[in-house]
Amino acid sequence: MNRIATFFCAACLLPLAGCLDVVPVDIPEGKPLLAVEGEITDQPGPYYVTLTKTAPYFDEAELPRVRGAVLTLEDSEGQREVLREVSPGRYATSTVRGKIGNQYVLTIRAEGEEYRAETEIRRTPEIDSVRAEFRAKTSTRNEGYYILYYGEETRGVGDYYQFKVFHNGRRLNQPGDLIVTNDEMVDGNYINGVELTNEEGVGGVFKKGDKVRVEALSITRDYFYFLNEMVTQINNVGLFSTPPANVRTNVRNVVAGSEKVAVGYFAGHTVRTDSLVIE
Amino acid sequence: MAFALRLFLGFLCLLLPATGALAQQPAGRAADPNGKVTVSGYLKDAANGEALVGATVVVKSLGIGATANEYGFYSLTLPKGTYTITYTFVGYEPQNTPLVLSENLTRSVRLATQGLQTDEVLVTGKKPDENVKSTEMGTSRLDMKTVKLMPALLGEVDVIRSIQLLPGISTVGEGASGFNVRGGGVDQNLILLDEAPIYNASHLFGLFSTFNPDAVKDIKLVKGGIPAQYGGRLSSLLDVRMKEGNTQRLGVTGGVGLIMSRLAVEAPIVKDKGSFIVAGRRSYGDLFLKFVPDQKDNQAYFYDLSAKANYTLGDQDRVYISGYLGRDVFAFGKDFKNTLGNRTGTVRWNHVFNSRLFANVTGLVSKYDYGLGVPEGNQSFDWKSNIVNYSAKADFNYYRTPQSTLNFGAGAIYYTFLPGRVTPISANSIFRTIALDNQRAVEYSAYLDNEQTFSPRLSAQYGLRLSMFDYMGSGSTVYEYEGPNGWQKTPVNPRQYAAGKLIKRYPNLEPRASLRYSLNGHSSLKASYNRMVQYIHLVSNTTASSPLDVWTPSTNNIKPEHADQLAVGYFRNFKDNAYEASVEVFGKRMDNQIDYINGANTLLNRYLEAELLYGRGRAYGAEFYVKKNEGRLTGWVSYTLSRSERQINGINNNEWYVNKYDKTHYLSVVGIYTLTPRWTVSSTFNYSTGIATTFPDSRYVYQGLVIPNVNGDVRNNYRVPAYHRLDLAATYEGKPDPSRRWHSSWTFSVYNAYGRRNPYSIYFRQNADNPAKTEAVRLAVFGTVLPSASYNFNF
Repeated sequence: MNRIATFFCAACLLPLAGCLDVVPVDIPEGKPLLAVEGEITDQPGPYYVTLTKTAPYFDEAELPRVRGAVLTLEDSEGQREVLREVSPGRYATSTVRGKIGNQYVLTIRAEGEEYRAETEIRRTPEIDSVRAEFRAKTSTRNEGYYILYYGEETRGVGDYYQFKVFHNGRRLNQPGDLIVTNDEMVDGNYINGVELTNEEGVGGVFKKGDKVRVEALSITRDYFYFLNEMVTQINNVGLFSTPPANVRTNVRNVVAGSEKVAVGYFAGHTVRTDSLVIE
Repeated sequence: MAFALRLFLGFLCLLLPATGALAQQPAGRAADPNGKVTVSGYLKDAANGEALVGATVVVKSLGIGATANEYGFYSLTLPKGTYTITYTFVGYEPQNTPLVLSENLTRSVRLATQGLQTDEVLVTGKKPDENVKSTEMGTSRLDMKTVKLMPALLGEVDVIRSIQLLPGISTVGEGASGFNVRGGGVDQNLILLDEAPIYNASHLFGLFSTFNPDAVKDIKLVKGGIPAQYGGRLSSLLDVRMKEGNTQRLGVTGGVGLIMSRLAVEAPIVKDKGSFIVAGRRSYGDLFLKFVPDQKDNQAYFYDLSAKANYTLGDQDRVYISGYLGRDVFAFGKDFKNTLGNRTGTVRWNHVFNSRLFANVTGLVSKYDYGLGVPEGNQSFDWKSNIVNYSAKADFNYYRTPQSTLNFGAGAIYYTFLPGRVTPISANSIFRTIALDNQRAVEYSAYLDNEQTFSPRLSAQYGLRLSMFDYMGSGSTVYEYEGPNGWQKTPVNPRQYAAGKLIKRYPNLEPRASLRYSLNGHSSLKASYNRMVQYIHLVSNTTASSPLDVWTPSTNNIKPEHADQLAVGYFRNFKDNAYEASVEVFGKRMDNQIDYINGANTLLNRYLEAELLYGRGRAYGAEFYVKKNEGRLTGWVSYTLSRSERQINGINNNEWYVNKYDKTHYLSVVGIYTLTPRWTVSSTFNYSTGIATTFPDSRYVYQGLVIPNVNGDVRNNYRVPAYHRLDLAATYEGKPDPSRRWHSSWTFSVYNAYGRRNPYSIYFRQNADNPAKTEAVRLAVFGTVLPSASYNFNF
């Protein structure tokens, strides 16, 4: 369904002599905030959490790492561990094992503040297969191989998914490649071949001999909204763009109302994988 | 409710003694007992029979007069005697008629347009001193003759783009659908086409408006001092009246432009008794697509059809039927299809009960719908959404005395809303059927208003409107919502309502008043107050409203919006009305304004109300306007200084922030110059403050992608750079040939003459080749000079 929105945006720009230019903009440098990126999955660990700080928008330097933080992960079965800092700002688990149905709480103590993030790992459907199909050239696409997903969707509305596509080992990772979806419109149906790629993402379509790997993630509702807001904000162009706004986070300062908020997400999800070589 | 009704009834009683004569007035032609008689009738254009809306009837010796209503009807009550009655209308030869008045008299008059020797262009279709004499304020009329001479985007004359050159009226960007009036949203304008509301007045996502200029007779925009007759939106009334059709002879008007062609045919049904007009337009960009191999399966076009007929059934009755159908179609081969449009139908019956009581009864239906979908394959689906309303109303004008006209009436609107339904259309589609509950509502209204002249210096129009909105069940489930503002709320307490069962009722009283005090013959002070209530709302979370936006009624959760507006103005004409000038200052307070949580999903969302936020709005400003009506150079300068803000709990830390359509400065200059009798040149210039937007101040990285962030989660902390644009046009009239009726003209225009890349928006992204690098990108809708030529004809 996201595809439709994209289509629609393209459609409305089509008849216009519209143009895009990179322009200089003078904006102030925002105060640095804690930025969290971490996950726990139903696959064997270790699981990683990376802590950085936000930087001025036009600053090109790598984001500063947050070292020496104390991170504690606890699951709903009562298991608890303190993460090790394996490289600057990167923290790893060693004992906790992610399990479908469990809830997780991550506590972060960094630079005098304490933050908490809650998540869970939800049920997941299995991938039947991932296939590549040749499509001829049309007015809206180039010819080449497109990657399709096949599999049963779990009955009951309220499932959310992210798909990641890897091309010869490298993840397709332009802003337009971020695919998140929900089961509102397809609940319980067999997904018989939905395209996971479009030509823009890979700078061309897939060719014979390419190695393809697909990861299907069953994610939480809140993480779906996080990713969806992220999609909106990083592809926010066109007549019907939405007003820019901050993307949500599940990492909260334990002192409500504190100015030292955090950004980013600690996400629990499943991972199912399938791969193929295009012949 | 009971309180509101009592108040309204009390108000009726206050005014009703004055209407006593209503019932006593004998149906025959006898004069009334105190020796006064009435002359009444219709004022029409001699050449084509069109009603002359706003033409005046004056008895100079008594210094009293009357104005023709929107159907051209006038009524003037005088003591018995012999008078010279003068009928006037700008652009027409005045007519002086000596009359011996001893009994009630019907006198319909045809005025002829002024001779061709005047090479002047008239900017208005109203009396020359109306600006200072009427109680109207915040009201602008545009004459189609003027609009047709002004530069137009791609040569296409456009009603809605033209009104954006008037004070207090702006837009969020070129190509954006709709318009903003005095700091209000695009859904806060009541757009009426022959009394039928138009829910989306755009073609091609907002580039062109839905009105065919060849079928439009008169456009009036009221943004303050809105009479009690109108209600249902907070900010303005845009009243578009279609031509009635030539009652004298067959007439054909047409044009060929770069984007579309137009044709209108009008003719008498029975000469002097009835006539019709049928007008159509179609864009033809898609016809060229057929020749491009890659594009031959794609479609992108729109068309509209306007039709109207009227018939006079004797002296007392006249019937009008009008209809509109507009459609936009976009298709990308078999991958995607989208269609949308408005359709309306209006039936009106004018009845003259007696020489002082005029009535109009209207029945109408209006629908806006869109569909989108994928026609085939395993992702096929069909998505539909619409809003439909059926409406009936009766409006009366009672010309009580030359000093007082009472307007009263009542009406009801029945709405149905289909927020969205998706169905798979092939057996192998992965989609299932999803249908959001239909919604139903009825909006009732009754009003009474009096136009009163207290003395030659002081006149007023004041009235009261009672409106009521019933949100009703349709076998639907309604919820309440719990949770903190700023996040998706949780639906609780589901309740099922059978069809027709009342869920929530909202009654409201809407007082309206405007006052004019003449300082002298050429200047006046005016003041107005109006309270407006809006019961239906456009759910739009994008910078410019999109055709997929859905209207929602007020529900148990969404409350009606209210606005109180106060305005004062100074109006002055110079040099015997050759120039008119005004300054108006307004202040407006609004409540129950709708906004959205960050990342709100407004489409196909069963729990849409969980993502809505409500709060207050305020707008204030000053509008300056100078217009030159006569001479070889005509035109106007309009400047608006204003502010529009809102305060919504859950946004911007609950503090006030400026609306996206807030414009600090808004300037328009319009000049039309008659070079020779055959060449007319014109130019418009526009300047406005850039729209308010939110710029990030920092960034972070997630899954390898750069995300912008702003400290403090503030809203609309920046402005995109200012917008300015110059347009030019020249019209060349074909050589007049008295032996032929054929008349033609060429219009050449240049839009965005200095090719400025006006920013529509600025957005932030990571560089496609180097994700570590971030950049700000400006989107300009028209980045170049757009020249065009069009050919117009009539015979």
